Amino acid sequence: MTELLPQWLLSWLGEDWSAVLAYITNGKHLAWYASLQYTLIAAFVGAALALLFGLMGAAMKQARLAPLRWIGNGYTTLVRGVPDVLFLLFFPLAFEQAVEWAIAQAVCTPEQLATATGWPLCADAQWYLSHAAYMTMACVSFGLVYGAFAANVIHGALQAVPKGQLEAAQAFGLSQRQVFWRIQVRQMWVYALPGLSNVWMLLLKATSLLSLLQIEDIVVWADRLGAPNYLAMVGAVHGDWRWKYYLVLFLFYILMTLLSEKGFNWLQARASRGMARAN
Amino acid sequence: MNKKTLLAIALVAAVSMVGSASAADKIRLGTEGAYAPYNFVNDDGKLAGFEIELGDALCAAIKAECEWVVNEWDSIIPNLVAGNYDAIMAGMSITDERKKTITFSDEYMPVDPSMYIAAKGTELSFDSLEGKRIGVQGATIHAAFAEEKYGKTNTIKSYEKADQTLADLMAGNLDTVLADGDYLKPIVEGSAGEIAFVGPQETIGGGIGIGMRQDQTDLHEKMNAGLAALKKSGKVDELIAKYFDGKGPFYGE
Repeated sequence: MTELLPQWLLSWLGEDWSAVLAYITNGKHLAWYASLQYTLIAAFVGAALALLFGLMGAAMKQARLAPLRWIGNGYTTLVRGVPDVLFLLFFPLAFEQAVEWAIAQAVCTPEQLATATGWPLCADAQWYLSHAAYMTMACVSFGLVYGAFAANVIHGALQAVPKGQLEAAQAFGLSQRQVFWRIQVRQMWVYALPGLSNVWMLLLKATSLLSLLQIEDIVVWADRLGAPNYLAMVGAVHGDWRWKYYLVLFLFYILMTLLSEKGFNWLQARASRGMARAN
Repeated sequence: MNKKTLLAIALVAAVSMVGSASAADKIRLGTEGAYAPYNFVNDDGKLAGFEIELGDALCAAIKAECEWVVNEWDSIIPNLVAGNYDAIMAGMSITDERKKTITFSDEYMPVDPSMYIAAKGTELSFDSLEGKRIGVQGATIHAAFAEEKYGKTNTIKSYEKADQTLADLMAGNLDTVLADGDYLKPIVEGSAGEIAFVGPQETIGGGIGIGMRQDQTDLHEKMNAGLAALKKSGKVDELIAKYFDGKGPFYGE
């Protein structure tokens, strides 16, 4: 990379700093920077899904039909109780095997099914997971786990919208659906945003678990870059530098937190437009 | 999760499956990417090393299209069995224990004695080792050996990656590390006297071979034929000499 820079800049930097610059822009480091995309995709897509599952869960929790309420309550109770690491390990594996089982029922011969001892049940039923498939599963897993938290937050926020307003809207002749979307959901954001910002922070931090799903994310690359190396053949020779790379990850996550706070303040101000204030 | 989302996910899965079905003829090679000079990620961020070059040459010899898959060491056998890739080339010694779950090709690297290292100036009496902390990489022949020989009176600490044992040795958390001699030699040489070999050499396990699932007889035959051709042409010896400081030749005529 440094060969792209003008000579005067390199001589101004001096040999040491030029070497540092060359080091932090070598292919291995560029791969590290590029792997940031997985963290960001997982965070944003995961958050969008979490919001979706959260809204659905919250709607179910206050549904008139009892079975829907059971599903909603079951979802928030069960999923919130499972550590996210476990869920991330369990869900994709269970999903993969369920799909493979379903394929096996369709493509394997009955003899193969009867005599199968290992997994998959026959070679044709093997589902090779691509990188994109793992990313999709990571996003869905994050969506499911944090959707359960979001559902609880949104459920509480929906309850916080004054009942009188809903009754008034009903009296004006709005349908149940209109009351829900235009009055209740429209106003619940003010109450939900502080809670949702907490959920977002948790989700953001959980993106450091992506490597559990064979995704080469920023943590994996930080590990690789920081690992001690004594072989010139492999690359720059250095001792255990993992702490340096972990420190960069610390700073990245703190920066993301600061930006998120700013973003949520803006959202809060926007959601509060035209709302009556008690003070 | 409601039915619609479940359906949508199943659909995405089905589509990606159709996409990967056409790639079924490809041979997927699993490796660790963290065991220099056998296999590692170089400064360009690409896989490199003895096994990477050998694997590519092997695929060219048997006229197959290959693809490398990086997998953590401790799950490298389970994920082979689960079908995430078709063969393992990751400095894996051929042992009877492993042969219970997978099968191996002929060796492409002869058996190499395992060795102990320690920080400079450390005195250890290996005949009566007691109360010491011995570092090994988990799920290796060294882990099993150390556990059996020293496990009763010493603490065996196992790590996910081989380089973590080095890091912890240098941090003073370990008294010694047991690993492949070929892995340790360049490290001792490159450590500027900080790390030294200590104690005896141990011969554990067999040579290094390609691990495959037990039902892959076709692939097994192909790989062995390819290896035989590369041994005969001197390619294997050439690569061993290149990556292991002039070692060999072992397979020349």
